Amino acid sequence: MADVPLTGGYMVAAYVVTAVILLAYTLSLYLRTRRP
Amino acid sequence: MTLLNRGRLITLLGLASLAGVYVRALAFTPTERLQGAAQKIYYLHVPAAIWTETAMILVGVAGVFYLFLHDARLDRFAAASAEVGTVFATIVLTTGPIWGKPIWGTWWTWDARLTSMLLLFFLYVGYLLLRGAVADPELRARYSAVLGICGAALVPFIHFSVYFFPTLHPQPIILKPSAPSLPWSMLVTWLYALAAFTLLYIGFVVQRYALSLARDAAGGAERAHG
Repeated sequence: MADVPLTGGYMVAAYVVTAVILLAYTLSLYLRTRRP
Repeated sequence: MTLLNRGRLITLLGLASLAGVYVRALAFTPTERLQGAAQKIYYLHVPAAIWTETAMILVGVAGVFYLFLHDARLDRFAAASAEVGTVFATIVLTTGPIWGKPIWGTWWTWDARLTSMLLLFFLYVGYLLLRGAVADPELRARYSAVLGICGAALVPFIHFSVYFFPTLHPQPIILKPSAPSLPWSMLVTWLYALAAFTLLYIGFVVQRYALSLARDAAGGAERAHG
């Protein structure tokens, strides 16, 4: 059986980028709605 | 419970669900043999793309109804959906190249699907810029509705571009007329991810709508006192 390619670094990068974007937008909404 | 708090609660549920998706995708979903771990980007990239396109369709539908009914709630919803769609489009346009590099050997290519998705992202940004540039609420809502309808018209082309111009980007393996070409274990993870992104879309839109409502109310109070 052929070896599975080692592409885990790309997967980690995509998962981190997605989490950062979603958390940043969540924080942005929180800060904007908190402002009087 | 206020509308804003409802939105926050749904967003928290969405984020918790997404954390569950991360655990399931990374630890309990098999690794694809040809692509390796990079294939797991699929569980984020595709649900984000589906909601990027759906959000713009909803902006367009709200725009059509706004032009007939002139209801400010439709304009508020369209603005909220466009902002959230921009966030999801950013996810699609960052995870896509990260996935493409190890599989295609390039970060980017001017393939029809990639190019049309980039165009949709620019339309989203243009929509938000337009809203910021027009001061009169009535005029802003009308111009935005027209641009939203144009954006929604682009979405079917994006979806079918892989059939019209089959180059690098693969054709759908789930959203197609025949049965999904994905093992059950992977399909369940993808469905969880789609549910998490759906919760995030709803939670974000409700919060953004509540923010517009509060701003409009503050603006109305200022005009009443001014």
